[in-house]
Amino acid sequence: MVSPKIILVAASLLLGFGGVAAAHHSGAAYDTEHPRTMEGTVKTVNWTNPHITFVIEADAKDGAPAQTWVFEVSSPGVLTRSGWTKKSLQPGDHATFHYAPLRDGSSGGFLMRVTLPNGQELSFSLTPSDQ
Amino acid sequence: MNMAMTKSVTFCGVVALIAMVTLSPAGAAPSDFDGVWLPDVKDQHRQEKENPPPWKAEILAQVEHQIAEEKAGRPFLVLSHCLPHGMPTWMLINHNAFEWLTTPGRVTMLGEVDGNRMRRIYTDGRPHPDDPDPTLHGHSIGHWEGDVLVVDTTAIVPQAYIASSEAVGIPNDGDMHIVERLYLAKPNVLNDELEITAPKVLTAPWKTTRIFRRYPERHYEIIEGECQQEDLVPAKDAYGNDIFVSHPQRPDGSVSTAK
Repeated sequence: MVSPKIILVAASLLLGFGGVAAAHHSGAAYDTEHPRTMEGTVKTVNWTNPHITFVIEADAKDGAPAQTWVFEVSSPGVLTRSGWTKKSLQPGDHATFHYAPLRDGSSGGFLMRVTLPNGQELSFSLTPSDQ
Repeated sequence: MNMAMTKSVTFCGVVALIAMVTLSPAGAAPSDFDGVWLPDVKDQHRQEKENPPPWKAEILAQVEHQIAEEKAGRPFLVLSHCLPHGMPTWMLINHNAFEWLTTPGRVTMLGEVDGNRMRRIYTDGRPHPDDPDPTLHGHSIGHWEGDVLVVDTTAIVPQAYIASSEAVGIPNDGDMHIVERLYLAKPNVLNDELEITAPKVLTAPWKTTRIFRRYPERHYEIIEGECQQEDLVPAKDAYGNDIFVSHPQRPDGSVSTAK
């Protein structure tokens, strides 16, 4: 399911963030200084250009209704070269999402890393590490 | 050792020496440039600070305003439409791969993410046209000087940005001329030495080298992606056919959580 070539480069992505975020726009909308974590279930995968987005239903807490979150990542090209496929994260998958939140406080952000239930990590980089 | 043997040993030594020199990385053939190249994004960021364009004073004021606006969370969108970056911005700030294709009389660069990023560099000896129609990528002619492809580009529309990032860029305002020297710094490292002359906005020609890397053992391909495809989502029409319908993202390009 997941290519063994998934590269864990969350640190380098965090450090190199400014302007790294997206093919087409500044990352100014995201607070990269204060990354957060949330858990939820994937509802929709928009494997599209220039940014793939994942629509997540957050785990319901304390009787409150589950919230819908939207995370964006980079382009299909960048994710494919980082070892992802369209099936790496699928509707119905429950996972932990590490993200830079939207500064305006709405339910979304720039997704940096995903931890799957089996412990496997999905992340991506604009620069493949030289092996 | 007799004379004949000494001569043949010497001859072999000379042949070996010539072989070593001609087979060295410096002996690159045009087709050695073919393949999928990824930009060095870390170096792009370094140059934002260390090698900014020599903006005219009144232009620098605009640039500084853009930088401030981005810090304030209101980034200017250099790429607010589906037009390609054009020249020189494609070479300067693009984060995605491009494919270099050599065919007789031409080098073609095919970009990723937006299918409309394409540079045609004519190497068939033609000159620039006398009365060109300006375009975003301009008219490029190239010739080989040894292992270096020297490319001369004119006829770029005044609206093409000279961009430092996706949030900082100024239109060239016309009369821009770009000369590039493209060569393999190492077998899988492509250097693009640009000299950008833009008399309306720069005080002097701006020199910057951009670095691209190839990873042949990873067999990277260009992945199709169309501009602002993310603003469309799959749906069905009244007949049940598969269509795309509009689902716009936020004005600054970030994800939309509105229903």
